[in-house]
Amino acid sequence: MSLQDLQRDMAGCSRCSQCKWVPMLQIKSWRFAKVCPSIDRYNLHAYSGSGKMIIGTSLLEGRSELNDNITEIIYKCQLCGACQVSCQAYRDDIDLADVLLELRAKCVEEGFVIPEHLEMIDSMKREDNPMGMLKRDRGDWAKGLDIPNINNQKVDVLFHAGCRYSYDEDLQDITRTAVMILKNAGIDVGIAGNDESCCGGRAYEIGYQGEMKNYAEDMASRVRASGAKILVTPCSDCYYTFKYLYPKNNLDLGVKVLHITEYVDSLIKEGVIRPEKDIPLKVTYHDPCHLGRRGEVYKEWEGEDKLLRPVRYKQSGKLGVYDPPRDIIKAISGIDFVEMERIREYSWCCGAGGGVLEAFPDFSAWTATERIEEAKATGAEAIVTACPWCERVFIDAIKKNGDSIKVYDVMELLNLSLGGR
Amino acid sequence: MLAKDAYKELEDVLGPENISEEPGVLDGYAWQPALNLGREAWIPRPEAVVLPETTEEVQGIIKICNKHKVKFKAFSTGWAAWGGPGEQGVVQIDLRRMNRILEIDAKNMYAVVEPYVCAAQLQAEAMKKGLNCHIIGAGPNTSPLANTTSGWGYGWTGLFTGFSGRNPLGVEWVLPDGEILRLGSIGSDAGWISGDGPGPSLRGIMRGWGGAQGGLGVFTKCAIKLYPWPAGPKEPRFKGIITDIKTTDVPKTHKVYFLFSPSYEKYADLAYEIGNSEIGYVHCKGAFGAMFGLLAPRAMRKMLASPAIRTITRAFQHMTLFMLAAHTDRELKYQEKVLKKIASETNGIALDASVFPFHQMFWWGVVRSIFPAMVFRPGGDFLTSMGSNVAYDCAVNQAKEGEKIKREFIDKGVFLEDLADCTWGGIYEGTSNWGHLEEIGMFDRRKTEPDGRFEYMDATNKAAIDKSLGYGLSSLGEGYYKIFGPLMHDYHIWQAKIKQAFDPNNTSDGSFYIPPIDELED
Repeated sequence: MSLQDLQRDMAGCSRCSQCKWVPMLQIKSWRFAKVCPSIDRYNLHAYSGSGKMIIGTSLLEGRSELNDNITEIIYKCQLCGACQVSCQAYRDDIDLADVLLELRAKCVEEGFVIPEHLEMIDSMKREDNPMGMLKRDRGDWAKGLDIPNINNQKVDVLFHAGCRYSYDEDLQDITRTAVMILKNAGIDVGIAGNDESCCGGRAYEIGYQGEMKNYAEDMASRVRASGAKILVTPCSDCYYTFKYLYPKNNLDLGVKVLHITEYVDSLIKEGVIRPEKDIPLKVTYHDPCHLGRRGEVYKEWEGEDKLLRPVRYKQSGKLGVYDPPRDIIKAISGIDFVEMERIREYSWCCGAGGGVLEAFPDFSAWTATERIEEAKATGAEAIVTACPWCERVFIDAIKKNGDSIKVYDVMELLNLSLGGR
Repeated sequence: MLAKDAYKELEDVLGPENISEEPGVLDGYAWQPALNLGREAWIPRPEAVVLPETTEEVQGIIKICNKHKVKFKAFSTGWAAWGGPGEQGVVQIDLRRMNRILEIDAKNMYAVVEPYVCAAQLQAEAMKKGLNCHIIGAGPNTSPLANTTSGWGYGWTGLFTGFSGRNPLGVEWVLPDGEILRLGSIGSDAGWISGDGPGPSLRGIMRGWGGAQGGLGVFTKCAIKLYPWPAGPKEPRFKGIITDIKTTDVPKTHKVYFLFSPSYEKYADLAYEIGNSEIGYVHCKGAFGAMFGLLAPRAMRKMLASPAIRTITRAFQHMTLFMLAAHTDRELKYQEKVLKKIASETNGIALDASVFPFHQMFWWGVVRSIFPAMVFRPGGDFLTSMGSNVAYDCAVNQAKEGEKIKREFIDKGVFLEDLADCTWGGIYEGTSNWGHLEEIGMFDRRKTEPDGRFEYMDATNKAAIDKSLGYGLSSLGEGYYKIFGPLMHDYHIWQAKIKQAFDPNNTSDGSFYIPPIDELED
């Protein structure tokens, strides 16, 4: 796919600005009515989903040219996909999120790159992760857990930790907790240790689309070697890559992909896992964009006129993963669960995605702070989520702002109810 | 490009983050397909875009524009061609940083808002206080300040809330020369409660019938009337996004009805009687073909290709979408009884939609006014014509003429098939028994040439003149005052005189309003 392939989508923009707002039927207040961090922070229309489509049209028609200013606008966006949900409430013929991806690919193709993103790509090429960490340390998080390594034995379930959960020392307890919940439930689960590598999704998102292919092939070979029938990941970004980006690029892992919350929720519902301990805590849940609206499986549709595309082929976000994490939380006795205003398909982004955390940390922190404010408005004592990137930016924003609200991963909360610490 | 010294002065007022002359950024303001009667979706690219946050900053911008003799054009939410420049050399004022609800006075039933508050935000906050606001058909993503001060619009609740021109109270207005004028009671420091004094009462000059479309300065604050939200939920909660909406919050005293009449005459009789009896919260012309198209566009294309199905569905052509919202069960029963009696006496059928599973979706969709914006689904674009505010019998005459004309253009392939129904309009303000009906055509701009659309506008305007149907939406297009003005007491001369008096340097881009009288006479 290229930007040219999306010319008709972009030319369909009516500039209604729905892409800036929570879907209209779901606006519940003045304060939390906006849905796009980019336009909300920077205000010029070019920062909105619509504005970026117009940039695309303008470039294709030769009315304007790419330069550093426009590149920065294109990249000051978490690719959270909220704009697409609001747009597609009214439109069947515009795949806005694909336009955002192709604009970035065009930037890279024409040599307009973000220096921090070059560092990520360089790190991926050298060490198989975008975080500047060493490949030889990737499996350290699992030391002492006695989890089978797929290099040594076949397993039923392959646990893919993802880069952030593998390397971020503040979050490694969550990774350990997640895999041990499976192990303690009697699941034949294994890991790839130091041989695990990045899914490649971040490279694709920041415009280096070709880089993802190698990672996908590497991932597929690990899956085959493991003998696993299920691939489970606690990382929402990896989940999106497996569910959307790989199939979109004709890359097939040949395995059932589940987010850890989907898998554990099913185990709870089957009675295999039984949360027993009361957790007296008022919590709210933040939908990670890449698990929710962007976690929807890719649906291929062939045709020229998307006006004639059946609705079931739209990536409207409706089929993302929303209920499993909520059901796990609700399965824990003592929890007082409250919803924020912007949830599910129209959730406000945490701020970390799309290479924003690395390139524009202030914007990332601003976006996270907005979400924390929304969580606090519910009266919740903790914000619970299911993605290491969300957890990282929330923890940092709370610390920076001196807030007292706590951050939990769904697995952490469950583990407390299972008697863990 | 803007002169360097002018740009620098604007930058000094706003800060570098809030001004841009980057071509790719400016094209975000030059792309205006909606209600754009030009050959392409682009309108003239502004010289620069500025983002003020306060009235004083707006004033600063306008004074700089006057000093440098540069035109300016402001918009709020920025949808439709008339929000942008109508000519080259214009600075676009994007008011999105002026986004606060300054006050909701529940006792006196008004809210004071800035330009970038959208109607859904205002409604959500008003409902928390047991109130509701008028939302124009363009939808809840539009600015209540813009449509009450500067444009024309009618929404589902027009029966109960009036159209946009009925709803402004006190107004803060930065005139085209930079002077700040406060209309109504706020002009005498007596609060926002009245639009007509004590203090200057210039509502007619400010907006007249259809508003100056941003051609007469910038409105920075406006008090807007609020209305009862009878027994409605204060913070309704729903699942879903649009047509999949589900809720348990529909009050038992609210009901949506589909009313079917056997002819346009009976449809009009029904409307008059509803107005006279002072019942109802929503009255709107239903359009079976268009509604079908909005909710199931692919199915519509297939099914309406069948002459038999077209004939059957035409039987539902004279349809009214109606909603009751009562404070009590007793009041609801009374209103239902009256409604059924009227329907019976006008040979119609009243279908209680509350028994259907989709009632929740219809109810909230109508209250929040989201369905009209779905007009983009079938083809990606639309235009509208006819639609003058008149006695409802005359509106019905417009609908009849409009449908005939639209049929021709559907057959020519200019518009998508929608049974050629008149798709939008209703009665306003109960017993006043006036209203409008407009003729919307849906099309795909990417596939069709504009000439057919121009011909359609000309044909509907000609019909409006030849058959004395009134000054409608089609006459709001650029330059149409030349045709309609001489037929209507030379209103355009008076407008042009107002324009000149209020905008001596002609800096407020009046492309969608009127030129000053000197220019007009030239």
